[in-house]
Amino acid sequence: MKFNTVIIGGGLASLVAGITLEKAGKSTAIISTGQNALHFFSGSFESMEEAPQRVTDLFAEAGIQLHYNPGVRLMPMGTFRKSTLSLEDISIFPEPAIGHKALIVSFAGYHDFFCQFLAEGLQKHGVQCSIKLLNLPELEALEQSPSEMRSVQIARTMDRIWENVVREIRILLRDEDTVILPQVFGLKDTSVLSRIRQGVPAQVVFTGTLPPSVPGIRTQMLLKRRYELLGGIYLMGDEATGAHVHEGKIHSIVTHNLGNHFLEAENFILATGAYFSKGLRSNPFEICEPVFGLDVEQAAERSDWYNPEFMREQPYMKYGVATDATLHALKGGEPLRNLYAIGSILGETRPELGTGGGLAIRSALAVADQILKPTEE
Amino acid sequence: MSNNEFDVIIIGGGITGAGTQRDCAMRGLKTLLIERSDIATGATGRNHGLLHSGARYAVNDPESAQECIRENMILRRIASHCVDETDGLFITLPEDDLAYQQTFVDACRKAGISAEVIDPELAKRLEPTVNPDITGAVRVPDGSVDPFRLCAANMLDAKLHGGQVRLHTTVTGFIREGDTIRGVHTRNLNTGQEQDFYAPVTVNAGGIWGHDIAQLAGVHVGMFPAKGALLVFAHRVNNMVINRCRKPSNADILVPGDTVCIIGTTSTRIPFEECDSVSVTPDEVNLLITEGAKMTPTLSSTRILRAYAGVRPLVSADDDPSGRNISRGIVCLDHEERDGLKGFITITGGKLMTYRLMAEIATDAVCRKLAVDKACETATTPLPGSEEGSYEAVARKIWEKPSMAQKAAAARMGSRASRIRTRNKLDEALVCECEEVSVAEVTNAIERLDASTLTDLRRRTRIGMGTCQGEFCACRAAGLLARAHGCIEKERDDLKEFLQERWKGNFPIGWGDTLREAEYTQWVYKHVLGV
Repeated sequence: MKFNTVIIGGGLASLVAGITLEKAGKSTAIISTGQNALHFFSGSFESMEEAPQRVTDLFAEAGIQLHYNPGVRLMPMGTFRKSTLSLEDISIFPEPAIGHKALIVSFAGYHDFFCQFLAEGLQKHGVQCSIKLLNLPELEALEQSPSEMRSVQIARTMDRIWENVVREIRILLRDEDTVILPQVFGLKDTSVLSRIRQGVPAQVVFTGTLPPSVPGIRTQMLLKRRYELLGGIYLMGDEATGAHVHEGKIHSIVTHNLGNHFLEAENFILATGAYFSKGLRSNPFEICEPVFGLDVEQAAERSDWYNPEFMREQPYMKYGVATDATLHALKGGEPLRNLYAIGSILGETRPELGTGGGLAIRSALAVADQILKPTEE
Repeated sequence: MSNNEFDVIIIGGGITGAGTQRDCAMRGLKTLLIERSDIATGATGRNHGLLHSGARYAVNDPESAQECIRENMILRRIASHCVDETDGLFITLPEDDLAYQQTFVDACRKAGISAEVIDPELAKRLEPTVNPDITGAVRVPDGSVDPFRLCAANMLDAKLHGGQVRLHTTVTGFIREGDTIRGVHTRNLNTGQEQDFYAPVTVNAGGIWGHDIAQLAGVHVGMFPAKGALLVFAHRVNNMVINRCRKPSNADILVPGDTVCIIGTTSTRIPFEECDSVSVTPDEVNLLITEGAKMTPTLSSTRILRAYAGVRPLVSADDDPSGRNISRGIVCLDHEERDGLKGFITITGGKLMTYRLMAEIATDAVCRKLAVDKACETATTPLPGSEEGSYEAVARKIWEKPSMAQKAAAARMGSRASRIRTRNKLDEALVCECEEVSVAEVTNAIERLDASTLTDLRRRTRIGMGTCQGEFCACRAAGLLARAHGCIEKERDDLKEFLQERWKGNFPIGWGDTLREAEYTQWVYKHVLGV
């Protein structure tokens, strides 16, 4: 099998790069282990304090509406954070004042949405809050099992019965100008969000829950569908285990499932994420990149990897695969000519590209452009 | 007797204090226990949780060995829900002298400890993770004991006998009349409320902090803070306690406990100022892994959950820089006899699993002072939760078809698990998935077991002790705590403290899956939840 580009990793950066290349007519494949950082996505792309047309168009073509305004968004623990480019689930306010009276609505027995913290946080900003827990007969099946009342399971039910929730809220609503709901709506059908907003006679603010993230999973599904409709091949449940390197170029890669069928390509993109996604691995002595054995920028002494204060910035999170100006990955100090690294495997080694979702999108587009640029070769 | 007058005040909510309060209360005394933090926060909760057979001390300290085997047999009876009867092996590695085995076995038998030399092949079958190169093995009646459960059960029984407990309350000074201690000044660290309590006898059971408490009373107890570092592995790799059959040294005990196993320990003298903030150094981590892997090679590739350290409250006797050769024996000081200070007793030294004997000795001293003539019954009266059989039997007795979470609760609480009331299905929802802790069990700990913070809850229910180290359960439990005490602001800080406390034990071993989990937790709390 030979492709123009093989992308290792199946998250946000991979899909943005893959869609861009497919749109330009290049044949691509994505190798995905299954889970990725989109599964705990907050709904806002970190470090993207802008809404580039190119990005909003790419997402809109996949059925995902993005928006950005300077301002703030409400966090699940009742604090406010500076706004960044966000999914339509996320409400952006010019300042930390969302209204005068808010009704916070959740479900009895659901512990992954923090009503009291939200209420206390909002009250500090002058919002009077009341909390109502809905007792919906449709959730009874989930209540039967001690570990079923989680975001995705509830969201599956909500896709069917969201109209009942709207009816309940209409009944409960008195003079509140704002209704706060957990992000458990529109898992499969994005239109549910706007229909809830239309159906409730108050401003509706969807707020985050404990992972898995319902908007994140929806985003993953829609981007993947778009990629596949464009002709991309998404190899789910597989992982790259090694590579054939010849004279500073990757010839092909080996995957777990394909065995002796090597994946050949002109270009390879490494987007396997940081530690949690296993793009970076660590042992007591060093942090390494397991597929190609790339150079990883890091402090030599393990004791320098951490800040003993949990809430402070952690040095280990800044480490990442070393790259040249055009994001070619380095091995032994030398760039591999057809291997690029994008997304959070870069850590904070390329601060100009941002962090989190912003880094994923910016680095993916930069590398796709690089691949699409006509070369002398 | 008015509300703030007692027969005896006990300072310290570790196992010694809790055991002493139980014993005093069972002998009919009106008791008050004061603890500046939570139960089992000092050395009680910071050791192996080894139910010593005494074999470890048989050669060098026969007196401690005899105490251990007696108390070992007693705890199996009175604290069955806290004890795991695993048995232990003393293995000889190729680098150890096999001749020591005979000395060891002779000393064990002399101390009354059953010590059976077994074929190394049999040892490997009994405990498949043991180093396959062992040249000798001795089987002894070691076990493991859960210090948090043991401490909570003693305190609960003291309360059932009318005892009062003030947690998160510190002693700010002593009420002294001439040469007599009449009581204590206290301050509640949560509310700031100051209160005086009176009693004819005060017992100092403050562990290593007993040094400062004695100083506050105007007497000197020369203590010897010896730090011991340990590692918790994320799996229970061994089912029997594994020890090295040699002179006691560093990192030569591996104890299975609940879902994990623990290797330790080291011994380093530290200054008193460091007792409140002991941490584990990279050198200690390396030593524990290297030595541990000699006994059980699979440890070198097993995920480490956390690193922690405790401070042994040894009473200094000589200038031994390591602290290894000091007797771990029990020290009970009657300060009237020793310093001419009436109404004040210090009980210290000893071990987690000789706490009952320590409590008996201290209570005997209290009773002598109060001229109370009542015999100790703690050696025969089971602790609350330990009245009836195995946890499976207990679970079946309470629930017709116990769920995994209910069996886990029965294992943690023994027969007291019947006090977990589930009013509906929602109470059975899991707060902590790693350790199977339900909403009802958390609620029970908040309402009935004096838990006021997330860390308190961890000690009583094991939430946050599992493989995710509090990733998800912390904020779920914070929600329940916030609802219970109604102060969200406080709970927000509590959550941060809990996460910090978990991180403190994670970063010294922050690589591999531990670092993955930490990255995830840090991401979720900072970027997703916005803590």
